[in-house]
Amino acid sequence: MSRFRPTFFIPLIAFLGLAIIGGLALQGTLSGSRNPNQLPSVLIGKPAPDVPLPLLQDSQAELALDAYRGQPLLVNFFASWCAPCRAEAPALEHLSNQISIIGIAYKDRPQDTQKFLQQYGNPFVAIGRDDDGRAGMAWGVYGVPETYLIDPSGQIKWRHAGPLTRDVITSQLMQKLAEMQ
Amino acid sequence: MIRSCLYILLISGFVIGAGTLMPPLVGTATAITAEEMLADPLLETRARNLSQKLRCLVCQNQSIDDSDADLAKDLRREVRTQLVQGKTDEAILSDLRAKYGDFVLLAPPMAKNTMALWLAPIGFLLLGIGITLGIRRRATVPAPSPISHADRAQIEALKQNHKTASKPDQP
Repeated sequence: MSRFRPTFFIPLIAFLGLAIIGGLALQGTLSGSRNPNQLPSVLIGKPAPDVPLPLLQDSQAELALDAYRGQPLLVNFFASWCAPCRAEAPALEHLSNQISIIGIAYKDRPQDTQKFLQQYGNPFVAIGRDDDGRAGMAWGVYGVPETYLIDPSGQIKWRHAGPLTRDVITSQLMQKLAEMQ
Repeated sequence: MIRSCLYILLISGFVIGAGTLMPPLVGTATAITAEEMLADPLLETRARNLSQKLRCLVCQNQSIDDSDADLAKDLRREVRTQLVQGKTDEAILSDLRAKYGDFVLLAPPMAKNTMALWLAPIGFLLLGIGITLGIRRRATVPAPSPISHADRAQIEALKQNHKTASKPDQP
């Protein structure tokens, strides 16, 4: 080639650009900082939605999240018909020694919820009933189980969609909890 | 070789550009059931229109109008409840955006973080046009064909031959 031709490099530059973008995305996925399956919650940093819910044990009484202000709180949406909820039951049981957990039975029949708790244990300090999923909608729930971490001032700090695994608890939840204290 | 690379770039630019400008092929299938529908046909039309703009978050590439998922059904009901309450279409969309984020909208909104997405097709199109014009302009100027050493030697040889062959005739 006797003459320098800049157009010759266009495909090369385009390829390098794509390779860099792909490489960064792959690195994020491998290191766990980027998970395309997890939708980010828009409620992070916002106050927890205040949707009045009847209590499972006493449908005349209402679940009041405000009563738990001043301490970190986990809110767990679950249902008896949800298989991953069974899988995460031991993890919640374990966590209940360290933090108060509120359960919200999502689109479940009360008698089924009761049976579920008898079978898999009850790690919750209180359980609200979201019979028609309206509270779930206010929280941006798109499937159960989903777990939210609320700080002492009542703000949502973290959300996890899907069952809480050992990895999620140690690498994410415990870190967020430590930041709070 | 270079030219074919450039043409591939150009064509992909056109394809991407056309893909974003053309309306998508919308399926006619719908998951809505009769009891979900509103009595008021005007409100029902608005509900259907809104449902086609909202993503079913569990199926992700279907609108809530198309999806049979439980969550899609709940969202359809929510849209209709809010319509009956007299909310505007914009208010309903922004309410759902506040709960589920931009992802709930099938068309990403124009914002700082989606600018690249919206402008890239136009950029590709301009790039393609620029490259085509560049190629065409170059093609109209014929490059002088260089004479190789072999050619030159042959010419010299012919000249010599001509001279020696024509000498005897010259006075």
